Amino acid sequence: MEGMKPSVAALAWIYTKLGNTTFGGGDPTIVALQREFGERRKWLTGEQFALAFSLSRVTPGTNVLAFCAATGYQMSGWAAAMLGVLGASAPSAVLAVWLTLGFESAVGNVYTNAAILAVLAAVTGMMVSSSFALARPSLNRRAWPRVVLLSGGTLLLREVWNISPLQIMVVASTIGALWLEDEAR
Amino acid sequence: MNPLLVYLLLLKANLISFSGLASLPIVHADFVQTYHVLTERQLNTAVAAGRSGPGPAGIYIVSVGYLAAGVPGAVAGYLAVITPAFLVIPLLRLLHEKASNPRLRSAIRAILLSAAGLLLSASIPLGRDALTGWFAVAIAAVSFALLSFTKVETLWVILAAAAIGAGTVWMPMH
Repeated sequence: MEGMKPSVAALAWIYTKLGNTTFGGGDPTIVALQREFGERRKWLTGEQFALAFSLSRVTPGTNVLAFCAATGYQMSGWAAAMLGVLGASAPSAVLAVWLTLGFESAVGNVYTNAAILAVLAAVTGMMVSSSFALARPSLNRRAWPRVVLLSGGTLLLREVWNISPLQIMVVASTIGALWLEDEAR
Repeated sequence: MNPLLVYLLLLKANLISFSGLASLPIVHADFVQTYHVLTERQLNTAVAAGRSGPGPAGIYIVSVGYLAAGVPGAVAGYLAVITPAFLVIPLLRLLHEKASNPRLRSAIRAILLSAAGLLLSASIPLGRDALTGWFAVAIAAVSFALLSFTKVETLWVILAAAAIGAGTVWMPMH
């Protein structure tokens, strides 16, 4: 769609690499992909990420796979969307079956458990880092009241009132549509 | 169980849920209560196996398919997991056509800031489970610093954390 068009093979490799090494569910994988495509390689703009992120939340099924389909499609069309979804999920699916077969021995291993705990700690740092990276450009554009209202408000709504992410994004997009950002005017 | 039926039941469960484990009550009703092809314990094992590996929590559906119908069931389960993901593309095309609209652009940027808050919120329960001591906090802090202020590849940070974690068990034993 917009910007540079990376090769499908390069995209498929990144989806496979990050989709199958990130523990802790779909959100850490989304964060790792956003960092790789958005911040490191500049293949995905902030707006493209926001669109893919929000639409993946309203798509039935597994959010992170819808996110892979959306970002793959944005960066390089249908083939990248398909390979993105397959790459990010097929090895994990095989591993899930393998773990089902030998569940007790696999999760009872002390080395495995210690490695997974350490990875989860690293992923926690990664998620905070990504949250910071998403808000940082707006802090530099004299748009801090929007950051406080939308990022801080979202955190408050989730943690204090346990409002669903979908409802929060509907509210945020309504606020955004009514309160135009300087660059969008 | 017929793999086609496995596919249709798991697809139905996926299509009427919007996150990883939200499909679990429907899977439980179909596979444990209605068709009796899984026991409670088998379903629990499938969920635990799905959550123990990397990738999305919803991947447990593949294990459910495997326990219900062997390898063809696992393939059916996998197809049921990935099929709904492609529904996002028509939505994307629809919105992309209107992307020049200032109100839509401002709304998208607002979602971006909201996403920052959502990711921060998602990191809280993860941190509560993972940050159990000073060593884990140090790993999280170093990970934050490396990922925020350097261009190091995410994969290396994850692999280094895994190696350090396993090393903390290995060293006292040797």
